[in-house]
Amino acid sequence: MTIRNTLRDHGQRYRPRMACLKKAEKMLLEMQDPDTGVKSQPQRLVITTIPHAITGEDIVAWLADRFQVDTQEARSFGSMLVALGYIYPLQDHKRLVIKPDASLYRFQTPYFWPTQQWPVEDTDYAIYLAKRNIRKKGILEIHEQEQYNRLHKWMNHKWDFIVMQAKEQYRAAKERKKPDRVVFDCQERAYWVVHRPPPGTVSGMDYGLDRRVDPNADEVTGERREIIVLHILSCSLVKYCATYHSHDPFLSKCLPSNPWQTDDNTYWTLNMHNVEIPTKMRVERWTFSFRELLSDPRGRDDFRLFLKKEFSGENLAFWEGCEDLKWGTATQMKEKAEQIYKTFLARGAPRWINIDGKTMEITVSGLRHPHRYVLDPAQTHIYMLMKKDSYGRYLKSPVFKDTQKKAVCPEEHKFSDAQLEQNARNRRPSLSPIILRQQEQEQRAKMAANAPVDITQVMSKLSKQGKDGKELPPSRRTSKT
Amino acid sequence: KPLSALACAQEGAWIERNFLWPEECKTMLDALNKVTACYRHLVIALGSTSDSQNLREELKKTRKKAQELAVANRTKLTSLLKDKTISKEDRAEYERLWVLFSSSMDLLEVDMKRSLEIGQDFPLKVPTRHLIQTGMTGSTTTVAARAMSVQNMKYEADSNIDTADLRDLQSEITQVSQMMEEMEMKVQVAPWAVEAKQEAGAELKSNMKEDAGFASICAVVGFFVIITVAVVLGYLVVNMS
Repeated sequence: MTIRNTLRDHGQRYRPRMACLKKAEKMLLEMQDPDTGVKSQPQRLVITTIPHAITGEDIVAWLADRFQVDTQEARSFGSMLVALGYIYPLQDHKRLVIKPDASLYRFQTPYFWPTQQWPVEDTDYAIYLAKRNIRKKGILEIHEQEQYNRLHKWMNHKWDFIVMQAKEQYRAAKERKKPDRVVFDCQERAYWVVHRPPPGTVSGMDYGLDRRVDPNADEVTGERREIIVLHILSCSLVKYCATYHSHDPFLSKCLPSNPWQTDDNTYWTLNMHNVEIPTKMRVERWTFSFRELLSDPRGRDDFRLFLKKEFSGENLAFWEGCEDLKWGTATQMKEKAEQIYKTFLARGAPRWINIDGKTMEITVSGLRHPHRYVLDPAQTHIYMLMKKDSYGRYLKSPVFKDTQKKAVCPEEHKFSDAQLEQNARNRRPSLSPIILRQQEQEQRAKMAANAPVDITQVMSKLSKQGKDGKELPPSRRTSKT
Repeated sequence: KPLSALACAQEGAWIERNFLWPEECKTMLDALNKVTACYRHLVIALGSTSDSQNLREELKKTRKKAQELAVANRTKLTSLLKDKTISKEDRAEYERLWVLFSSSMDLLEVDMKRSLEIGQDFPLKVPTRHLIQTGMTGSTTTVAARAMSVQNMKYEADSNIDTADLRDLQSEITQVSQMMEEMEMKVQVAPWAVEAKQEAGAELKSNMKEDAGFASICAVVGFFVIITVAVVLGYLVVNMS
């Protein structure tokens, strides 16, 4: 029978499974072995002596030996155990790290181990704070006092219970002998340092969002179709990782240097939105997929230039207009939709886009009651058009090849320690986002003012000229509908 | 004559309902609260070096006592709350008692489930399975005695209690969960609407009185000891000279 803790959680939120917890518990048990485990020693306090204290260096040595790793890794491993709350420090109890010296630690009792299925309740924390209030005779730490007041406000209906339970737990604890009482106080305090960390520290148990499905529920056996889907997904994931490996600043070097590490902004200035000469890595990313090209503003500029030469800039302009409609403010939606219709979709529009009859019908009828996503079918059609047709030609075009040739590959920075300190001191905040947005809007207005000439305008002009007896230029390859 | 007897019986029942039962409920809730607190202390010792056969038996006995109190409490409280004829203040008070009761039961239920889990993970008789060296080595018999309201605990269980008891525990957990769900169905109480009687920092008041009382007793005793010593010394001095 599975014991499930829902505690009548009708919202049915489940905590995600933390796989490391079960593994850490196994290791904890190995550490308890009297022969092969970690050596313990008694801790001498003023009057009492408490057994089972272990030193940081013993823990690190045991981990290094057990897993055959070097000291540094054993230290991080040990710190993880402390951060999760399996081992707690006896001195300096707020800093949850392993110090590889003679500092003392102790194992936490299984009740206070971190678990996936038992959430840490505010009721328990309130009871703990009330007990601490009794013990410290009303003098709590600042963050504890704040939490106490907050819980008193939000759990007011349970407050009688909390006071009663706190008093009873306090009296029950007094029934034990002095050494055990000291240990219990340390245990409880360590538990709450992990799960309600003091300000300025993070909890090792932060897990993000709750799940909708209970991870402890019985697993469904996979069907063949699911296995195939999983296989395809994993292949694409592998392909993605292989492609982007050299572009990921975590996995490869960031040229010239990673600003977060060296405090030098060159990387960011070289990769700004409207930079003249892009970097080689950036240009390489444009070749990965059409989406990458469009999502990079500099790439989009380059593509726009190419399309201008091909006289099919209206596609990109329409696409951008649709994006603007989707992400823009609701108040301007109607005007924007009308503007787009007049410019791109209406019969005889100045920048008429070529979409098939059915999509045009749906779009025009939708525009009678415009909403944010009314242009989605048309936008998708144009996007696929550009992707299948123009994108391939762009990659072979002289515009792109020119950009590729001019692209710069910066030298790697080699900062000395003194220079790094200097950089850190010279840190300045970047431009305010308000200013950046204003610049963007100005640029957009400028572009709208010098809208490139499209084929329809050219054709209409030339047809007028043709009436005067001039030759028409050869018709451009029209996109297939 | 039979009519007046009936009236007497009804009045008696009314008095019992409106005066005796709330008081009984409060007493039983205090007792349940105490047992819940002690049970939590016992569960905290599970799996550590203070775990033992005795602890498992203490857990079993405490648990059973808690369940008896719970059932008794539930019956009285449910019938009190189902009564539509009570006044608004009375109803508010009963709802407050209800919140006390259900909070206690929530805590108890979680602790029972955890004790099942930890009890299963740490069987006592398996030599390769080690208990966690937490630094706690003393026994918990005084805590259990406090829960059971006795002077000394008597231990009479078999040596395989650590495994045998787990089955009982599982069924008891189901019983408690079922009881809680039934209670929520039967009684319409909005727990968040209850106003607590205690203010922030209420836990400090009576405890300080207790400590102050203790301190004053110590002072008085010390005083008498000093007087006695002074008298004895004076007598010796007089005798010497």
